[in-house]
Amino acid sequence: MSSSHEVEVIDPKTVDWGGNSSPLRISYGKMFMWFFLISDALTFSSLLVAYGFMRHKYSEIWPIPGDVYHHFPFLEGMHLPLMYVGLMTFILIMSSVTMVLAVEAGHRNDKRKVMIWMFWTIIGGAAFVGSQAWEWMNFIVGTEHGATREVIENGQWVTKTIHGANMHYNEYGLPVFANFFFFITGFHGFHVFSGVVINCITYSMAWRGVFERRGHYEWIEKVGLYWHFVDLVWVFVFTFFYLL
Amino acid sequence: MEFDDNYPQYELMSHHTEEEGKKKRRRLWNIFWIMLAITLIELAIGIMAGQMGLLNEIRMSTVTLKLIFVGFTIVKAGYIVMGFMHLGDENRLMKWLILGPYTTFVVYLIYMTSVGEGVYSSRHKMLIDPIIEMQADELRAGGGHGGHEGEEHHEEKGEQKKEEHH
Repeated sequence: MSSSHEVEVIDPKTVDWGGNSSPLRISYGKMFMWFFLISDALTFSSLLVAYGFMRHKYSEIWPIPGDVYHHFPFLEGMHLPLMYVGLMTFILIMSSVTMVLAVEAGHRNDKRKVMIWMFWTIIGGAAFVGSQAWEWMNFIVGTEHGATREVIENGQWVTKTIHGANMHYNEYGLPVFANFFFFITGFHGFHVFSGVVINCITYSMAWRGVFERRGHYEWIEKVGLYWHFVDLVWVFVFTFFYLL
Repeated sequence: MEFDDNYPQYELMSHHTEEEGKKKRRRLWNIFWIMLAITLIELAIGIMAGQMGLLNEIRMSTVTLKLIFVGFTIVKAGYIVMGFMHLGDENRLMKWLILGPYTTFVVYLIYMTSVGEGVYSSRHKMLIDPIIEMQADELRAGGGHGGHEGEEHHEEKGEQKKEEHH
């Protein structure tokens, strides 16, 4: 073999698919985080498209989100449509900024800054999950006066006054509105919760100096991808669920 | 656990100096301010449209409004994906690999649920749970809940209920 002149020499620096090279020029971990995020994004997309289908099929009787979500903590009795959702959106965008600043600090191997920004990201995520729980509480408890609906009770249809919403009935309109609310914001909220847990693990890793020993902060980039994805989904939920 | 993924053509971490970092941070904060401004505009328009009862109608102004919302959202998504997630800094092949398949599937999904045999065709009626249809009929018969009449409606009912209690 060594005597042959016909052997083609492949220089990995010039030929992308010749082996021993990385055509995408991205690390294994980051690439598969992207692939995971695509599959997750498709799940969220189908939920939102299904929501859009129902929302426009029953357009004339669909509840106006501003009439349903108008509570604000410490300002009871005031009608502030969507204000709290706006604040939640602000909190999540803010925590996304602190996350990307942690990534940027990681690029400079600045352990102290990474820890500071990770801390604020965790605080923002926790505040968001708490706010979401509070929204759920208000939606489930409902208004004082409620609405009169026919509901199934012990296998019988009965007419009674209901308050709030659950998977079976909904004071504000079609029960399927409540089902979508619980599914979409619940699925998203679970993602945020997982993100907060992962952020806490990342914080402890940074604190223990794991990344310094490795010589790079690539882990932060992967966690950052996930966290920004959570923010990205919320941007879509905010528009399609609360505004349209 | 350490993985041996030291391929020759990328570094595990793109390092940069303090000065470059300053520039990058300024850019990130700019993205934040743009996104905040868009969100506030969206919120203001959304609240006004909801109070005016514009959202549950099918007419030109409502459709335009909704398209504006979708446009704003796609701009924000672009800033997050390209700026915060650094997809803008990856190579071109990677960008296509991420955005191509996703866009294809979602456009197809939206097409299948909305165009042609769409929301208002009679065929879809069969696909929808009859219980939802029944609940919708009940709501329609009860005068519906949408629009601005909601508030006064609630208050009247509330007063009635209080009287019953006392």
